[in-house]
Order: sequence, then C-alpha cells, then structure tokens
Amino acid sequence: MSDNRPLDFGQFWYSLGKELSEVPIAAETETLPMRSTDFADLYGIHISSIGPYTIYGYLSIPKGDGPFPVIYYVPKNASVLEIIPQGTSNQIRSRYITFSLACRGMRTADSPYAAMYPGQLTEGIESLSSYIYRGIVADTLRGLDFLLTCPMIDRSAIVAWGNDNALLAGALHGAVTHIVSTPSFLYDTINQASRTSSYPLEEFNDYLRHNPERKGQISEILSYYDLRFHSSAVTAESLIMADYDGGLFDKKTLRNLTENMNGAVTVHSSERSSYKDGMFCEKWITDKLFGKDATPIVPNHWQLE
Amino acid sequence: MGVDRDYRCQVIKPEDFNEFWGLVLDELSSIELNVKCEKDELRSDSEITVYQVFYDSLDHVRISGWYSVPNTPVNGLPAILLVPGYQSDPPIPKDWSAKGYACLSVNPRGKVRSRSQFDPGYPGLLTHRIVDKNTYSYRGFYADAWRGIDFLLSRGEVDSERIGVAGSSQGGGLTITTSAMRKEIKAASAGAPYLCGFMDAIKLTDTYPYQEINDYLRTYPDRLEEVEGTLAYFDGISFADQIDCPIIMNLGLQDNVCPPETGYALFEIIGSKDKKLFEYEGHGHEAGRYVHSGIMDQFFDKHLKG
Repeated sequence: MSDNRPLDFGQFWYSLGKELSEVPIAAETETLPMRSTDFADLYGIHISSIGPYTIYGYLSIPKGDGPFPVIYYVPKNASVLEIIPQGTSNQIRSRYITFSLACRGMRTADSPYAAMYPGQLTEGIESLSSYIYRGIVADTLRGLDFLLTCPMIDRSAIVAWGNDNALLAGALHGAVTHIVSTPSFLYDTINQASRTSSYPLEEFNDYLRHNPERKGQISEILSYYDLRFHSSAVTAESLIMADYDGGLFDKKTLRNLTENMNGAVTVHSSERSSYKDGMFCEKWITDKLFGKDATPIVPNHWQLE
Repeated sequence: MGVDRDYRCQVIKPEDFNEFWGLVLDELSSIELNVKCEKDELRSDSEITVYQVFYDSLDHVRISGWYSVPNTPVNGLPAILLVPGYQSDPPIPKDWSAKGYACLSVNPRGKVRSRSQFDPGYPGLLTHRIVDKNTYSYRGFYADAWRGIDFLLSRGEVDSERIGVAGSSQGGGLTITTSAMRKEIKAASAGAPYLCGFMDAIKLTDTYPYQEINDYLRTYPDRLEEVEGTLAYFDGISFADQIDCPIIMNLGLQDNVCPPETGYALFEIIGSKDKKLFEYEGHGHEAGRYVHSGIMDQFFDKHLKG
C-alpha cells in the first residue's frame, strides 16, 4: 500500500492541466424551455474535455441582472445527471447559478464511453495513463473553465459541491471559493475498501480479488487521486461532510485530510438523517455567502419546524 | 406546523382499473420470458455468486438485472425482488444474499443496461408519453418489475412460497404495485413510497423528480385533465387496496422528495390486515434507514424464513 505522495505528483497534474488548456472549451448551448421557470432559465451545455471528449451539463441562471453566486455540482459516481440534486428545493435556482456536469461515461456524456455502475471506478486501472479517472478529473476542471466564461457569475462565490471530486476541483482549480464535499472513495482507497463490502468501494475489492498481484500498482495509481495528497492545495473555505462517528469516513478517519487543508474547514459528522445533514449544508453555505441573517432556501418539508 | 397524518389524496381509482391492468398482464404473459443468466466472475466471491440476468418484458423490451445467491448449497431459498429508486443505479444485492436470500435487483426499462430499446432519460421518465395510459412510460416500467417475479419463479433454487419484495422511494412505489399485482409475494417492505398521490405530491413539494410533472403542465397547461386521467391508473394508491400480504412501510416526516402526507394516505388504503407503519421524526427521504434496516431484517426473517 502506498502511503506516500508520488514523486512526480506535481508533474502529473501539471501535465493534465496543460493538456486540458490545449483543448478549446467549444461550448454549445441549447435552451431547455420545459425546465425553465419564472425565476430561472435552464440551458443544456456541450463542452469539450481532453481526448477530445464531449461532456454535458445543465446550467441554470436566475432571472435578473446578476452577478449571482454559483453552485457547481461536480460529476457523480452514478449514471444520471440531475439538474439539481434530488430533494433540493427548485427555488435554489432563483438565488444561485447552478451547473451540474456529467463527466465521461454518465448519461448525456456516454458516447463513445458508457460507464457501468459499479465499474466506473476501476475502468482502465491497469495503468496510470489508461485509468478513467484522469479524464474524469479533467472533465471536472473543464466545468469550472466553462463557468468562468459565463458573464453573470460572481467570481467571489463559486461553490464546488458533491463527492470527492469537489475537493479535487478545489485543489486543482483556482476558481473555487467554497467546497461542500462528502468524501466517498478517493481517501486512502484500498485500505478503506478492505473495511467494507459495500459499493462503490467494493469495486476495488472485486478487482483485487481477481488480480491480487496488482495491489501495489493499483495503490500507486490511486495515490495520484488520494485526497490526503491534495489537501494542502485546498485554500477554499470548506465543509466536509463526514460519516457518523465509527463510520467508514468518519471525522477521525478523515483527519489526515482535514488537518492539512489550507483554508478554513468545518467538519460535520453525519447525524444519519438526510434532513439534518441537508439542513446543516444549506445553513452553512447560506451563512458563508449571504451572512447569518439570511434564510437558507430549503424544501417545503424542511420548513415545518 | 407538523405533517397532517389524516391527509387524503385526490386520486380516484378508475372504474376500469382492473380491466386495464388485466390486459397488460395478458399481454405480458403472452411474451416468452427468454431468460439469460450469466455468472459474473468479477462480482462473485467465495460466499456469494452474482449473475447478470436478462429477460423479455412488455413490448419485447429486454430487461436486465443483478441476481445473487449465497454459495451454500441449499434448495428452497427465500427470495427478494429488490426494486430500484428513480435516478439511482440498481445495486448488486450481495448484502441480501449475505443474509441468506436469493435476490434479483431489477433494472426496469430506461435504466443502465436496459436502455437500448427505451430511454426517455432523467429528467423525462416521469412524464414520458403521459397523456395516454396506453403509452405512458410506467406501463412498461411497472411490468418490468412484476416480470422479475417470473424470473425468480423460474429458478430452481428459489422456494416459490417464500418470495418478498422491497424497495425505497421509487422502489417503495414499485413494492406497492408489485405486491398488489403478484399474489406470489408473501411479504413486502415499502420505504418512502414514490409514485403515490402524484397530483398531490406536485403541490406539496418543490423538488425533483415530482417537479417534472409541474414542468410538463407548465409547458402543456391544456393537458391537465389527460395527465390526471393517466396517472390515476398508475398511482400506488389505486393499487393499494389489492395488497393482501404482510407489509411494513417507513416514512421520514421531513421527507423532501416524497411527501409523507401521501405516505399516510397510501397506508390508509392498503388492503392487508397485516400492515404496520414506522414513522421517523427528524428524518428526510432516507426515512430512518439506519434504524429501519434492522426492522426490515426481522420482518423478512419472520415471513420468509420462519
């Protein structure tokens, strides 16, 4: 198992950035009137990433003059691209520009590569150059490149929101000002996988059960993506959503990430309630971007208290 | 203000409801199951064997699923049909097999690996061809889940008298429709049921996926009557009186996706005399999963292993 940051870690990511910078964003926009409302317009966005590979996102822009703060919903480890995450109040689109992105392999970005779930996390993991995650990180960063071309964004308030990719976005792209991240599979991956039989980490167990001789190589490849080795590059103000105490990615386990980040960090231990955890996130981001007197926009059934 | 536990939904079960679904079942039974069941070596281990499964469903759409069984050589296994959420990817159900069940996790049409012949996408599935009950997406989607029972019945290792169904969110809704329509089901567990009280839910929530219907009606306001007419045939509440197996249901009282009011209305209608509702205050759409999973285990142990 590799516990050390690879010697060419910086070079690896510099090369990716350089390769990405040589691919034009080439954004093509289509209006989606059915998903537009009296408070926000929705657009479908095709953009180019390394490969070149065409990826797709949903961009929602509030009615009005702007500039508007941005929530960037980073690519998920799942097939479906949502406009905003299921269960989020649609009214959030009246306050923020939202941009959700499908990385390569997800629906709407699945030609020529259609990912399987489970399957995406070990696709091409035979070598550092063929591992699919290099492209997925490039796609994640390309989403930010695109956002910076949008004239109505408030550059002082760009939130990367989602799984491990939100932290990678913050570490590798200077545009991110705030992060809301739930680490799920890129923190000390092989060791964490050995502690569970649940997917998505079980993907790695499946792979290593059939290729036990490759454990060292796989660990080394994954170390380029390990959040522990990206932590010091994160300067954005961050909310880390940890597992409940004793869970796989609990506060204690994530210490090697959270204690080395260079921006202010709030760590929230899950209360095992999507309502309580969700309320914490909405209050946190509203507080950070609009101040303590502002009211978070939450779904109807979270307003009953 | 709390949740109104006495809330009742506006849906009225159509008079020809049974006739409509009877014709669908007749059509379904005329199509050969045409099962393909391939061992997935990568996902199998020393304790559990995983198979990739394919079968034919309504309109001859090819449906996929994950099927897992414990490796212990036992015939007469209890079995679970696991039905999926709306936009989540159906899981490989090794956790069920670790508990001693044969389990089919079905991917109804439009989901990953069942997309080649039908793929309205997300958002989209909920309103696809919604103006006509004979073309609506869920006519086939429901049938694909029900057909999973035929697959389980085709397996020699499964005890046909010990089959249950479980799911949450859309899986909760599919649990309702499946247990209503397939009398082989001996126990059912529905969490945070979606697809129940559609026309109420679109007013009670401001979140996707129910927002898809509001999006549709904003675009086609003159189609309200047709949409209501179609959905009455697909509403879990219209199916619920036909459930007669033991069933448990769990609701999160702060559910931001499937309003708990519709859950209460559904539970009231469920026909089974052996029904129990678990309410979780302070919980959202996960509906108290971390506590409730233990209750589910005990429930299925009692009804399928006892």
